[in-house]
Amino acid sequence: MRAWPFVILVMVCGVPSRAVGDDSTALISDSDVLGRDTLRLRVQAVTTRLSAYDQYGTGYQSKAGPILGPGSERLTVLQPQAEIVMTQGDKVTHRVWIPIDIITAASPNSWHPVADVVSGASRKTEAGTLQWTTTYRADALTHVSATHGLHLENPFRSWNAGLSFQRAFADQNTVVSAGLVGIFDWFDRFYVTGARNGRTQRSSTMGSLGLTQVLTPTTVVNVNYGLTAQLGELGNTWNAVPLANGERGPELLPSERIRHAIVGRMAQFLPWNGALRLHYRLYSDDWGILAHSIEGRLMQRLTPRLYVGALYRFHTQTSPRFFTTRAPVDAPLRVADSDLARLDSHTIGAKLVGDTWVSGMAQALHYEVGYDRYFRTNDLRIDVFTCSLGLVF
Amino acid sequence: MRTRLTLLMLVAAATIGCAAVPQNRRARLADPMMSLDDEPLEAHRRQKLYDSREGAAGGDGMASGGGCGCQ
Repeated sequence: MRAWPFVILVMVCGVPSRAVGDDSTALISDSDVLGRDTLRLRVQAVTTRLSAYDQYGTGYQSKAGPILGPGSERLTVLQPQAEIVMTQGDKVTHRVWIPIDIITAASPNSWHPVADVVSGASRKTEAGTLQWTTTYRADALTHVSATHGLHLENPFRSWNAGLSFQRAFADQNTVVSAGLVGIFDWFDRFYVTGARNGRTQRSSTMGSLGLTQVLTPTTVVNVNYGLTAQLGELGNTWNAVPLANGERGPELLPSERIRHAIVGRMAQFLPWNGALRLHYRLYSDDWGILAHSIEGRLMQRLTPRLYVGALYRFHTQTSPRFFTTRAPVDAPLRVADSDLARLDSHTIGAKLVGDTWVSGMAQALHYEVGYDRYFRTNDLRIDVFTCSLGLVF
Repeated sequence: MRTRLTLLMLVAAATIGCAAVPQNRRARLADPMMSLDDEPLEAHRRQKLYDSREGAAGGDGMASGGGCGCQ
């Protein structure tokens, strides 16, 4: 009689455990509870962003001014972007990204009568890209991504493809990454007078190695080294160079360029519910450009779903060996592009970022508004307004 | 160039040697403010701005070229 409670206890505990262990007799399977491991695409997030650029300034490459320059670099850009993130099963994530640029520039408008597709159509050029990136999660620590994209612009076609690898170590405190990307561009070549001069191309191959390390519960750092090798026509064939004989000539650039960059980044959480992010980039190439870029961002959380941020960036660069604003007629290499001049630039910016819960199909609405002011020591100023809306499903 | 590579190796070695932070103590790092990368669309906007106005694009694993702003 004293054994009955023990027998009942064994029966109660034993029956369910046998049912779970024996799948063939289970009434409820794992897939019934967790859902089937389907390959159907599921949209996880949709994000849109609209940015507007308003640029003023002058540059010696521009033809919108005196022959010996500098000419106007007045330009406006309207840039809508959209991104869709989808999952396919529990191991595959797709990211589809479509940026569009609508550009109105002063320099291509300076030639009358309009002689070519650039000087005519670029009064208002539309450029678009379709980029598709697929990430495969091999296991909890290893990700492999493949990307490919197509860029369309009036006189320009570009195709890119790349592979990247990411592996976490040390309880995911350390992440090592590597990537390889190739870009192939085909575009119209022009005489400096604006007449079409056939087609030309260039290729760019980029490799990178990165390391991200969690240092403390509130500090994370990242270092990245990258190498880019470019071959082919490395200018846009449209920029002008003022010549010593009082005329304009075309840019003459090397057909190869090797670029190196080292980037160091750090993010530090601050005790008053804020964050500090620092970014330093050292760049050099075989044209003779050496550049340093330093950026700091300070973020402050106002509520659990809202924070503000402020940004300052300083960039300084030297010019290529063959940069000039008045080139000898017989110079084998020459460029007057103000973007390649020795310059300092500053960016100041601010943004407001928030999330709010929504009812219905989506779980959350993400929103952001921001403003940046970019200005350079060689007469260029840009105001950038940007806003973003996204839905998380 | 050799000096830079040596510096990179030293930084890598120094950081790999850090003590591991348990996952349950990384809540602060998950805050969106702490992300080392910008939101992708914002990152593209900034990259395009700097790549097409400065002569120091590329070299860091990011695409350069692919448009008329090809410095």
